[in-house]
Amino acid sequence: MNHDKASPAAKIASPPQSPQPVARDLYQALDGDAGRYALVAGHCSGCGRHFYPLPGRCSSCHGPLTRALFGERGSIYSFTVVRTRAPFGLPEPYAVGYVDAEDLGLRVFGLLDPGCIDRLSVGAPVRLDVLPLGGDAEGRPCLRPVFTLCRQSGKGGEQ
Amino acid sequence: MNGVMIAGIGNIPFGRYPERTVVSMGIEAGLAALRDAGLAGGAVGMGIFANALAGKLFGDLTIGQNVLAEMGIAGIPVINVENACTSGSTAFHTACMAIRSQEADCVLVVGAEKMCVPQIGLLSSGNSELDTLLGLVTPASFALRARRHMTEFGTTLEQLALVSVKSRRHALLNPTAQFQKPVTVEEVLASPMIADPLTRLQSCAMADGASAVLVCSERLGRRLGARVRVLSSVLRSGEYRNPQDLVRWQTDYQGARLAYEQAGIGATDLDVIECHDAFSIAEIMHYEALGLCPEGEGGRFLESGAAALGGASPVNVSGGLLSRGHPVGATGVEQIVELVRQLRGEAGQRQVSGAKLALAHCMGGDRAADTKSMTAIVLGV
Repeated sequence: MNHDKASPAAKIASPPQSPQPVARDLYQALDGDAGRYALVAGHCSGCGRHFYPLPGRCSSCHGPLTRALFGERGSIYSFTVVRTRAPFGLPEPYAVGYVDAEDLGLRVFGLLDPGCIDRLSVGAPVRLDVLPLGGDAEGRPCLRPVFTLCRQSGKGGEQ
Repeated sequence: MNGVMIAGIGNIPFGRYPERTVVSMGIEAGLAALRDAGLAGGAVGMGIFANALAGKLFGDLTIGQNVLAEMGIAGIPVINVENACTSGSTAFHTACMAIRSQEADCVLVVGAEKMCVPQIGLLSSGNSELDTLLGLVTPASFALRARRHMTEFGTTLEQLALVSVKSRRHALLNPTAQFQKPVTVEEVLASPMIADPLTRLQSCAMADGASAVLVCSERLGRRLGARVRVLSSVLRSGEYRNPQDLVRWQTDYQGARLAYEQAGIGATDLDVIECHDAFSIAEIMHYEALGLCPEGEGGRFLESGAAALGGASPVNVSGGLLSRGHPVGATGVEQIVELVRQLRGEAGQRQVSGAKLALAHCMGGDRAADTKSMTAIVLGV
């Protein structure tokens, strides 16, 4: 609950160049600085449903939500490489896709690692990373969650 | 839906009009619809105006009042509608509601859009939405469906390209279409990649244009000699379920089924169909959702010739969004204009002979991998 990087205090304290998350409550670092991340969903204890991105309340029963972390790993459901002018200062070209998260049964839209563009395939295993990528509406650099291809073998060997 | 008729239609050819405004295009289409119906502006009891982008591009709002005022129509209720690509069809749907509820006897629906301007950029579902911030531009959302359709059903690049080839072939027969030059499968596939596997010739271009229809009660319609009747009109939003199936578009399937039920028809009864072919893959998926062919068979259905003029279920004989053009706010209205021409037997070289039942289908906006808005309208004579 105290991992909220985008709190107003953090914003004021940051130097102007330090990239901020593209949106609040979108992702969260796991295990400190180990380079592992998860996405933030909302869980409704009333009806048991999960929602991503985290909304203010359950859209089904309107009850309060608790944060539920998920999506550290998944597999590509579909992908494309966008080769037109990129919005928000994203690299050209850039890749996006839907990823089936290993946990919570959610299918999420997200950026795919620009370094993996030539190796993408449906079904490929991915893991979540966070990279300085593009900017916000005002052109300030941003941190964005990005799915990157897992190495073929050696699960423990990453990062 | 007994009691709703279409008494007049009007449009301007879609294309580029650098010197024209949204208002001036809307007026021209609106006046054409009045002339076609044989009515003066004083007969109009309500105006509904559709536009999707002028607020964003020009900072203009409540444009419908400007269009109607300059047509000499004032003092009546005017509603402005924005519903992405279904703005025009939602305006039409609202007009049907007004007639059925007897709130009005005669409603002028005008859709107009001006997109051929430098500031247009790539369309998305909203600049502050998370998906947009993460790079979801409209071509990408269809490219993701295309990739999945190819993976699950074996749909080929050539089948995707064939949608554009058919579209251009049809547009050759439509003097008001934006693109009237035939293309080959090879040319479509060799055009620049937008979001793979979709190339530029599989993506609808920017267009300016306006269309209008005059919707009226049965009583007035009969007096005016109108023949085209609205048999059903469905407007729905997505269900935004997660996980969303990108290639079995439930919102599309369900909206079509409801429209057929309300009209008391089946998909195979339709003589002519206009659907929302914003990208090649969209038309292939709509064949399936609209019940023209089984799930997953859209590519092969197209290859068989069934969706072409002369086939069992001619789709987008106007050229559709891909070739007739897609000025967003006008599109849903233009589909009705085209189908009224078909049902009246006035469609010239692209006439589907003996057309008696027609479907107009539109979708707009993206949310949680679903469409935000879907319309299905059945017309008959």
